[in-house]
Amino acid sequence: MFQVENLCKSYGEILAVGGISFQVRAGEIFGLLGPNGAGKTTTLSMLSGVLRPDSGRILFEGIDMFVDPIRVKRQLGVVPQEIALYEELSARENLAFWGALHGLKGARLRQAMDHILDRVGLAARSKDPVKNYSGGMKRRLNLALGLVHDPRVVLLDEPTVGIDPQARANILEVIRQVAESGTTVLYTTHYLEEAESLCHRIAIMDQGRILAEGTLDELKRQAGEEEIITIEGSFQVDAIEAGIRQGESLRLLSVEPGRAIISTGGSGEGAVKLLSQLFGTRIPMDRISIRPPSLNSLFLNLTGRELRD
Amino acid sequence: MMPTLLLMVRKDLTRKARAPLGLLLVLAFPIMFSAIIGLAFSTSETPRVYLLVENLDGGILGDALLSALGSEQMAQYFQVETVGEDGLERIRRGEGSALLRIPGGFTEDLVKGDPTTLQLIRNPAQGIMPEIAQQLTAVLADVLDSGSRVLRQPLDTLAPLLQKDAPDLDLATFSNITVAVYESLQGAGEFLFPPVIKISSVNLGQDAGLEDESPDTGFNVFQVFLFVFPGVSVYALFMVGDLAMRDILVEGEAGTLQRQIQGPVTPGMVLRAKAAFGASLAMISLLILSVIGGIAASEPVNVPAFLLLSLALVLAVVGTAAAIYGATGNVKRGSVVSSVLYLLLAFAGGSFMDVNALPGALRLVAPFSPFYWGTQGYRRLLEGGVSIADLLPSVAILGTTGMLLLLLGSVSLKRRMSRRGGL
Repeated sequence: MFQVENLCKSYGEILAVGGISFQVRAGEIFGLLGPNGAGKTTTLSMLSGVLRPDSGRILFEGIDMFVDPIRVKRQLGVVPQEIALYEELSARENLAFWGALHGLKGARLRQAMDHILDRVGLAARSKDPVKNYSGGMKRRLNLALGLVHDPRVVLLDEPTVGIDPQARANILEVIRQVAESGTTVLYTTHYLEEAESLCHRIAIMDQGRILAEGTLDELKRQAGEEEIITIEGSFQVDAIEAGIRQGESLRLLSVEPGRAIISTGGSGEGAVKLLSQLFGTRIPMDRISIRPPSLNSLFLNLTGRELRD
Repeated sequence: MMPTLLLMVRKDLTRKARAPLGLLLVLAFPIMFSAIIGLAFSTSETPRVYLLVENLDGGILGDALLSALGSEQMAQYFQVETVGEDGLERIRRGEGSALLRIPGGFTEDLVKGDPTTLQLIRNPAQGIMPEIAQQLTAVLADVLDSGSRVLRQPLDTLAPLLQKDAPDLDLATFSNITVAVYESLQGAGEFLFPPVIKISSVNLGQDAGLEDESPDTGFNVFQVFLFVFPGVSVYALFMVGDLAMRDILVEGEAGTLQRQIQGPVTPGMVLRAKAAFGASLAMISLLILSVIGGIAASEPVNVPAFLLLSLALVLAVVGTAAAIYGATGNVKRGSVVSSVLYLLLAFAGGSFMDVNALPGALRLVAPFSPFYWGTQGYRRLLEGGVSIADLLPSVAILGTTGMLLLLLGSVSLKRRMSRRGGL
């Protein structure tokens, strides 16, 4: 449905997106997972036709976004990361404007508004001015504005940032329902668990590049069977480097004063080997955690950093 | 495209209707400002000096002075009350602006040509009033002094006749005095007729006809209001245009501008819609201000000429604001620049005062301000008897400037949108 080819975008000297390519298939939830500053929002801005890439192409069902942008944008619904609403107007008036902008009118528009207000749980407060809404309600309305015209593709840019767990669960549920109704979803997030629970396919982004792409299972396989061991204590970097004998089954992924992350071999011997080595040293340790293979461990393996960094 | 444009304009007008405070304040400004100036500078009710006069003379010239102070002309400035010995005490009690003492023997001294002194005791608690009393009394004293000098010869003849035991006036003496007065006046020639002397004759109540010759320089509240209102309204309209065009950057910061461009509209459509919104808002404001102006106006206004000038002004208003926000690209920076720039242009363009009252250098730059053409155009319309042809220079300059600035602002704003994916 969406084909992205070699997309590049720089802001002056800063490379925001450096030649990424991927495909979004009809009916799937495609996740762009990466830390803040990875280039997700810039990618989404180009996909929504707001930002022109320096090079590369975006094709929507074979139509180039920047050759016939209006035709492509009629098929899209965009939910920006920042809440973008008219605070003086009510939820219904906001929906009426955005719906009408996409060509809805009359009874169809009213039906669409009623349906989406019900879906996001704002029907009871739909006539109140938005400025009187809570943060969670605004987030839900922000989502509703991107869905009111029943688009074929929805682009969602971190729609759950900064809200309480209940509102977050509500938003994720709405997205699942939208996807179940056949709408294609492109979802950006830096929350691992959201990507794991929601997305059919995921592309892991960092520093403007896609590091890995595939289904959750495919990505986990890329992560291998390795476990990730994190050690915390009052030690220096050189003490850890000297204390651990790296080899086939042990690999120091990152180390800083007081914290080291080590990857083990998949057999389970790596963890035992590491622990026996560590206990033989005088390295002062406060805490040791062992995590099974995950998207985070894959990200760690690929970048040497945790996703939350 | 048209329905989309209307949709966007309607959305912005609804938003403005929901939060109208800024617009109402801008519209209230010209009405309040003009009304205050009208009330402050209209001369329908001049405050009067309350003058107490203690006449110790009892002679003919003392009485004449008293009569002059109480004349119809002086009544515009003075309310005179003759008092006795309690005059000073009453001034102390604050019951008057000043006490004028006409000394005993005033008539006799003046007729003889001896020095005499009028004493004015001022009440400083009454601000400017005692000062006015002093100035007018000084004029009267000058008049009497000059009169005494010019009419020296006839006064010398007249002096014995003013004594209590004087003989009756016979025809020969009367003729002599009349001839002497005539010759003195002829000899005084032009010295007698400069304005100071004219004032003396009016004040002494000797020439009632002069009252009609004095031009009526007073203005009523409505005249002053109508003089000030067009200029301040033009200023307010520029502020309205500023509010509207600033909204494009406000939307840029709120994310709604970007969201619109993510929909099936182009940046150019959004800009056109915002300019149309600015024009609509300016038109609505103009309508409100016109109704207010119409109530105060006494002359009928040429409606087609008014509409033509208004359209040109609206274009200038929107264009100027678009150019400012296109150049600054930031709500705060743009607001500061527009506030300062509009004030300067309004002052230089004579929106707050008559262009002729401006310093020479400012008068030269006035025509470079769009405020000048708007203000002059509306002032002429309110004066009446103006045709469309008379207003064509204003219309042409405002319209052309407006279109050029709108084009410039749109290009700049569009470039910013494309570069940053919003504003």
